[in-house]
This record gives sequence, structure tokens and C-alpha cells, in this order.
Amino acid sequence: MGERTVIPFGPQHPVLPEPIHLDLVLEDETVVEAIPQIGYIHRGLEKLVEKKDFKQYVFVAERICGICSFIHSLGYCLSVEKVMGIEVPERATFLRTMWSELSRIHSHVLWMGLVADGYGFESLFMHSWRLREQILDLFEETTGGRVIFSACEVGGVRKDVTVEQLQKIKSTMISFEKELQEITNVFLNDASIKSRTKGVGVLTKQMAYDLGAVGPTLRASGVASDLRSTGYAAYGKLNFEPIIETDGDCYARTAVRIRETFQSIDLVKQCVDMMPEGDVRVDVKGNPDGESFIRLEQPRGEVLYYTKANGSKFLERYRVRTPTFANLAPLLEMLKGCDLADVPVIVLSIDPCISCTER
Amino acid sequence: MSILSMTKTLMKSVFHGPYTLLYPIKKKEVFEHTKGSIEIEVADCIHCGLCQRNCPTGAIQVDRNSANWSIDRLDCIQCYYCVESCPKKCLKMGNQYSAPAVKKVRDEFTNARVSGN
Amino acid sequence: MEMMILKIIAIIILAPILGGLIAGVDRIISARMQGRKGPRLLQPFYDVLKLLGKESLRVNKVHGLYIYLSFIFMILTTVLILSGGDILLAVFSLTLSSVMFILGGYASNSPYSTIGAERELLAVMAYEPMVILAAIGLYYINNSFLSKDIINSSVPAIAYLPAIFLGFVYILTFKLRKSPFDLSTSEHGHQELVKGITTEYSGKDLAVIQVMHWYETVIAMAFVYMFIATAAPISHLYAVIVCIIIYLIEILIDNSFSRVKWKLALKSAWIVTIVLGTLNLVVLQLTM
Repeated sequence: MGERTVIPFGPQHPVLPEPIHLDLVLEDETVVEAIPQIGYIHRGLEKLVEKKDFKQYVFVAERICGICSFIHSLGYCLSVEKVMGIEVPERATFLRTMWSELSRIHSHVLWMGLVADGYGFESLFMHSWRLREQILDLFEETTGGRVIFSACEVGGVRKDVTVEQLQKIKSTMISFEKELQEITNVFLNDASIKSRTKGVGVLTKQMAYDLGAVGPTLRASGVASDLRSTGYAAYGKLNFEPIIETDGDCYARTAVRIRETFQSIDLVKQCVDMMPEGDVRVDVKGNPDGESFIRLEQPRGEVLYYTKANGSKFLERYRVRTPTFANLAPLLEMLKGCDLADVPVIVLSIDPCISCTER
Repeated sequence: MSILSMTKTLMKSVFHGPYTLLYPIKKKEVFEHTKGSIEIEVADCIHCGLCQRNCPTGAIQVDRNSANWSIDRLDCIQCYYCVESCPKKCLKMGNQYSAPAVKKVRDEFTNARVSGN
Repeated sequence: MEMMILKIIAIIILAPILGGLIAGVDRIISARMQGRKGPRLLQPFYDVLKLLGKESLRVNKVHGLYIYLSFIFMILTTVLILSGGDILLAVFSLTLSSVMFILGGYASNSPYSTIGAERELLAVMAYEPMVILAAIGLYYINNSFLSKDIINSSVPAIAYLPAIFLGFVYILTFKLRKSPFDLSTSEHGHQELVKGITTEYSGKDLAVIQVMHWYETVIAMAFVYMFIATAAPISHLYAVIVCIIIYLIEILIDNSFSRVKWKLALKSAWIVTIVLGTLNLVVLQLTM
């Protein structure tokens, strides 16, 4: 039994994108256990529901997180629309789906850059983020914002998209796909990256299911669970299959996210082709009264929204359960028995979004 | 198993030159719908206060008595909810960002026609 | 005698300037490969000047002392090699400088720099055998350890020692602190040990560490130079060209690999040393 040292990992650390504190108990460069502490970025956003009325709160809901921002605002709008029984026009659902899939592409490409930086491969990080700029320019052209768009509202979307913009989205997707092929080829085939990710942080299928993993972490261990198959928004009309891998290590999670990116590019092209004509919003009158519970698929996994309203213009309760919160327990399991050099790779492979987790 | 698989991309970027923009010497071009800052046609404003009530952050202050409309530039989150709520449609989302500042900046607009001078 | 003193002073002052310019070019070319513009050419000098103006926080009395001891031995190594002295003594002086640096990493008792110091020790164990084999190979051909005799021979050393040259270029990645073998401290600072062995240094100590890295670059390039240079003046031009090509290849390798774990680094360095180094020496023994 070697001597144990405790290394503090975080909250400020060059490798981590967001503040989380892990006390790593080491025995000569092998991690024996990890003790987490969270709470560094809690802002009390769920309490703000009592102060901002239900139409203003959509701007707070989209600021829960910067990377998954659109899907949070989509979830809020879908839950309030379900409580009030509002039917959104079809063009609005297709636009929302298109922006959700573009957000997913943006999130996965950002993650690819971060994980390349985590194993010391700086040039791959810079090239991945150079590709991400094209998606951000698309967002700015259609909605006005690069990261936080304020595009969703209760009753539809706030801005319509012209025919030229749709054609530009489609042609950008085609050129983006070609450039992405070169970068993902490096992720999947390079020998030094394989030596860092193969066999590292293994999560077996039974353990992933028991500990409640969600998202690509779950799908990389062989469980085919993807909430887009339930058909919310316009997903019921699109051609779509969940992507699974069976190894359960960091390499499998990278492969799942890369294949999901290519699948999302295909879904965006399908949305542009199938975009129906019509209005993009309906007027909303009255106040919500009732409860609703919906589940969406964020880039990081399954997110739950529970809303309770009592007839006034302020909602009574709005609860969000984010996917990173569910993935923290499998993370601690994966960290047992790994080398110190694997810790950043494993922490980044669950794609932690701590500002979602702590709102 | 391959090594040196990034070589093609790296060599292409060396000969292409930098993909980055020499900001602030060269400014980035903005799009038509870029959310920059709120502009007002103050002659059309009737000072009803709907924009002040709907603003999520409380950045807008409207004073009916002195015909004053002011906005705190650093509090504004560019959500343009005020643009949608204005009954006279005198508010607009311009596409130039307000400049960074070291203190809070409050831009005031007074309606000369009504204020009595 | 005065010529010798002037020569030594010129080496001590000009070698880090050359090393700093090489570091500046390195950063610009790396930046262009990554699609960025890169800093100015003299940026490493501005960085060192900025660091000299900052406060050095020292944890205990020996923390700063080890860096200065390491610096003195590094200057000794440079002077020995560049003024025509004994290269085996230079190699051992370089090892002593590395050991002082590692002791400095242990002295600060912080978990990051302790693990960084362990990794630096593993890196030294990985590249030392090859450097010693290179020195022995050069002695074999010229029957002298003095560098001024090595570069005055009639045939370039690489003609007799091609495998050792290749092995030496392999471990150059360790010495120059580039990916895939920048385990203990890398220039980028985005690794799990924050900055590894140099985490706890600040101010003047960190400036001394940067200048030491420039001396190390010049020493590494001088070793490559010795393999190519001969008595003919034109060979010096070839040697400079080969040095430039090798450095550009190192920059390409730095940008094409991720960092590997220490077991793989140690294993691969020793396999290269044993296979290429002993093969070359055995062939030389049989044919000379």
C-alpha cells in the first residue's frame, strides 16, 4: 500500500472548462477515489421564476448555459405551451428543430476542441474551433446572436428565416461536412490519441444503466436510448436512428459524438428541405394554470423540465434536471483506478456543463 | 493506426495565412439582423411605459412628465422584447454594438416637442 | 588567453540571443500551422523582460537556489561545447543541470510540481542513454572527445553514424520539450499538472528558466551540427541547413501529436536507443 497524496483538481484549472472541484486521492499516479464538491456557480435562477413573468422568463431560461442555450429556451417554451394547451404553427416547430440541431453540431465541435486541448494537441483544438466559427456565423445571420439567440418565445419563434438564408444554411452544411471529415479523421485514427483514449474510463453497460448515465455516455456503453425518438418538436417527421457504440471507453464516447455530428448535419439538411410555409407565431393570451413534465435531448443527454403554474402571471415552480448532474455519479465510478494523466480526458469525455448543473 | 495525419491540414493553413481577423484594426462585418443596441425614434414615443414594464432587466426608464426615455447600455441584454411591445413601433434593434465602458452608461433621449421648449 | 576569455564571454551572451530568436520563429510557425497570426519575432525577449520585473515568490530558502545552480551548469555546458571542449564532460554537466532542476521541483512541496519533478526524472532516464551513446559514437570515429577535433575531421560523422543520428533526433523531442514527449512541463500549460515542474516559480526565477531553455535549444542544435560539420568550410553551411530542417520537422511533430503517457514515452525511447544505438556501434566495431 503506497503513500497517499491528495491533489486538488479545480475549481480553476487550465483543463476544465467550468468550475468543479475534485479531490483526487492518489497512490503514486493511480487515482484511488475522487471526492467532488460542486456549487461554485450557483446563481439561483430557479428562484427568479417568482419575479419575472412567464413571458419574460424565457430570457432567463436561455441563459442557464451558454452552450446548450437554445435547447433550454426550447424546453421552457414547450413546457409552458403544454400547460396552456397552445398549438404552435408547423413552420415554427421546423425552425426550432433546425436551430436545435445546429446547436447540437456547435456543442459537439466545441467539445472536440476542448478534449483535444485536454490531451495536449493544441493544433487540433484550434482547427476544430475554426470550423465552429462557420456555425456561429450562421446563427448570427438568422437569429442575430452568436451564442444566446433569444429566438424562442411562448407561442412560436420570434424571427422568420428567408429563402436565401435557408439555401445558405444548406450550402454551408455541405462544405462544413467536407472540412469536418479531415478533422474527425485525426480523432478516430491518430495513434497518439488512441493511446490516450482506448481502454480509458471504461463504463460497462450494466453500470451505466444502474448509475443513471444519460446521453452519449450511456449510448457509448451500448444502451440505445435517445429522446429524440419520442418525436417532440418536428423529430417525428424526420428520418432518425440513435447511434450506439459498445466499448464504453473514452474512444467510444468520442466516436458517438462524432457520428452524431454527421447525423445532425443530415437532419439539418432534411429540415431545410421539408420546411413548410406559414406563420411562425401565435398570440398568447391569459395565464398558465396546471402542471407539465417534458423530456428533451440536449447534446449532453436527457434533460427534464417540470413546470407548475397557478393562474397568475408568475409561474409557481420551474425545475430543471440537467444531464451533467446525472452523469456525475458514473464519472466518479470511472475515475477509480485510472492514472493521473487520464483524469482530464475522463472528466472531459462526459462533457461537463457545470453551469447547467448548478443554475 | 496512423501518425502525422494532421500534416495536410497544417500545411494548408501555413500557406493559406491566418484565418483570424486583426481586430480591432479591422472590424468584423455584422449581418443585418445582428443584435447590437437599441435605437429609438424619440419623436414618435408616447411614453406609455410598456417597454419599461416588459424589460427583463429593468434597463429602460421612462418618465412621462419630463418626456424622457433612457436606457442603461450595460444592463441591456439585447433581447428586443421592448421592440416587440412598443405600440408605436418607435424602437429598433440596431446592428452596431455599444462600446465597452468602465462605468455604467445611461443614454438619455428627450422628446423636444412635448417637453415644452 | 585574452582571446579565450573574449570567446567565452561572446558565447555566454550570444547563445541565449540565438536561442530566443529560434523560440520566436518557433511560435510564429506553430501559430501559422494552427491558423492564427502568432506573436512578434522578439516576443520571447519581451516575455523575459516582463518576468524580470515581477516579484519572485519563494516557498523556502532552497527553492530559488536550485534554479541558479542549474543555470550555472547549463552555461558551463554551452561554453564547453561551443568553445571546442570535451563533449563527454559537457554531457555530464548537462545531466547535473537537469538534476538540480529536478531537485528544485521537489523542494517546493506542492503536489503539482512534485509529480512534475517525477516525470522530469523519467524523461531524463529516457533520453540520457542515447545522448551518451551519441558522445561515445563521435569519440569512436575521431578518437577524441573534443568538439573542435570532431568538426575538423575529413568525413562528416553522419556517414559513420546514421542510426545514432536518427536516434538522437528522436530524443530531441524530449530535450526541446515538445509533444508527444512534453510530459513534465510544456509551453502551453494546458495539462493536468497545470505547468508541471515549473508551476511554483514566478518572477526572476521563471525568467531564468526561460533563458535556460534557450541555452538548451542551442546545445541541442550544436550536437546536431557536430554530426555534419567537417574541415571544409562548405560543410558548415550544410550543417546549418540540416539544423534548420530538423527544427522545422520538430515543430511539425509538435503540432501533429498529442501528449503520451510516461510508460509509452520511456519504453519507446529505450527501444529506439537500444536498437539504433547498439546496432550502429556494433557495425562500427566490426568494420573499423
